Amino acid sequence: MEPKLNELSEAIKAGRRKEAKLATEELLAAGVAPEEVMSALSAGMDDVGRRFKANEIFVPEVLVAARAMQTSMNLLEPVLLSVGSEPEHTVVIGTVEGDLHDIGKNLVAMMVKAANFKVVDLGTNVSPDAFIAALREHRAAVIGLSALLTTTMPAMRRTVELIRESGVAVKVMVGGAPITQQFAQEIGADGYAPDAASAVDEAKRLIARTAA
Amino acid sequence: MNAGYALIACDVFADELSGLFVDPPWRDLVFLQMGLHDYPDKLRTSVQAIVDTLDADGRFDHIALAYGMCGNGLVGVQARSKSLVIPKAHDCISILLGSAERHEAILKANPATYFYSPGWIRNRRVPGPDREHWLKSFYTERYPDDPDLVDDLIAADVSVFSHHNCAAYVDLTNDRRARCYCENCAGFMGWQMTQHTGDASWLQALVRGPWSSDKFQIVAPGESIVAACSQLSMQ
Repeated sequence: MEPKLNELSEAIKAGRRKEAKLATEELLAAGVAPEEVMSALSAGMDDVGRRFKANEIFVPEVLVAARAMQTSMNLLEPVLLSVGSEPEHTVVIGTVEGDLHDIGKNLVAMMVKAANFKVVDLGTNVSPDAFIAALREHRAAVIGLSALLTTTMPAMRRTVELIRESGVAVKVMVGGAPITQQFAQEIGADGYAPDAASAVDEAKRLIARTAA
Repeated sequence: MNAGYALIACDVFADELSGLFVDPPWRDLVFLQMGLHDYPDKLRTSVQAIVDTLDADGRFDHIALAYGMCGNGLVGVQARSKSLVIPKAHDCISILLGSAERHEAILKANPATYFYSPGWIRNRRVPGPDREHWLKSFYTERYPDDPDLVDDLIAADVSVFSHHNCAAYVDLTNDRRARCYCENCAGFMGWQMTQHTGDASWLQALVRGPWSSDKFQIVAPGESIVAACSQLSMQ
């Protein structure tokens, strides 16, 4: 089944939704473990992320790849649930108040979900209160805050402050085009991810640190 | 300013710099293509390459940059023997509006605002009718055998702007054609349009001085531009 898994990764890389759907259906019908199929999806999307960073492809290409991956994930999720592969940890995610940009946030949500986390996506322009309420409701292990604009970086800082003041025990991870490791440290975030693929690693690292 | 300076400017300011400054005081002026903020690493290397070239020029002591934070694309830039002068702006829109606070207030009032300026309009890649034509030809050339994918890519690009609802036009040069173009874009996108009269004082100060510390960051020779988180600027 390896060629078919490669085919699936290639369909994601090229943003070919129909081919991705077909390959996913065939893999599942052949009894390939859904986790393996998910890995092929993530591998394809990782490659898309790398090429985007290298300026080889642009936002629309990333988006069609993400949509192809989402199409496959829609097929995979019920199968994962049926085999009892339930997510152990929850990640709440959203774009901070005053910022309506969601491309990066959506990519992170999808990649984190593909890594078998439960994702609660609050959307964009999310107030600190809404973040805190969701953290309490879902008992999330990690919260991911996104900002695209330098004008909304102060809102990210404020959100982190209010999460800390609320006393909710959660690891805060931040990211977005203008966000740097230095800024993450200055505002008291626990983690920083420069892209969607590293957001998965960072979420895992933060959870491992909590458990340790 | 007495020792003179060279100016590195985003091409987005070409009209303003040529229209507002007769007999300009800079010793050299280098434009870089606009839109590099979408690729901060490319912006950084492009600016650094020009800085490296200007560094050896003995006619001036400063290199002024007509840029703002611009996606943090200037972080890491340094000159060996010149001071770098950078407006404490989010981007070109802050500079055209005359202050970062005014820029922030407009976005706070409506986060769904998309800014247009004569320079930004000039590249015809702003959300509007020409962008779709440009994308179609760009992606058709890239994926000649896959018209469905090209359609998907154009639809994806449209979705990028779907959360905006307002075209905010900012102008320092009273450019009627650009304003009219912005109106067309707003109509095409189904957005309302607002107009904000530009304030040339910040650009004037960049070009003629003084480089006051509330509006400009001066980075000493040998030091790098960093993102100063406490005030969202450079130091």
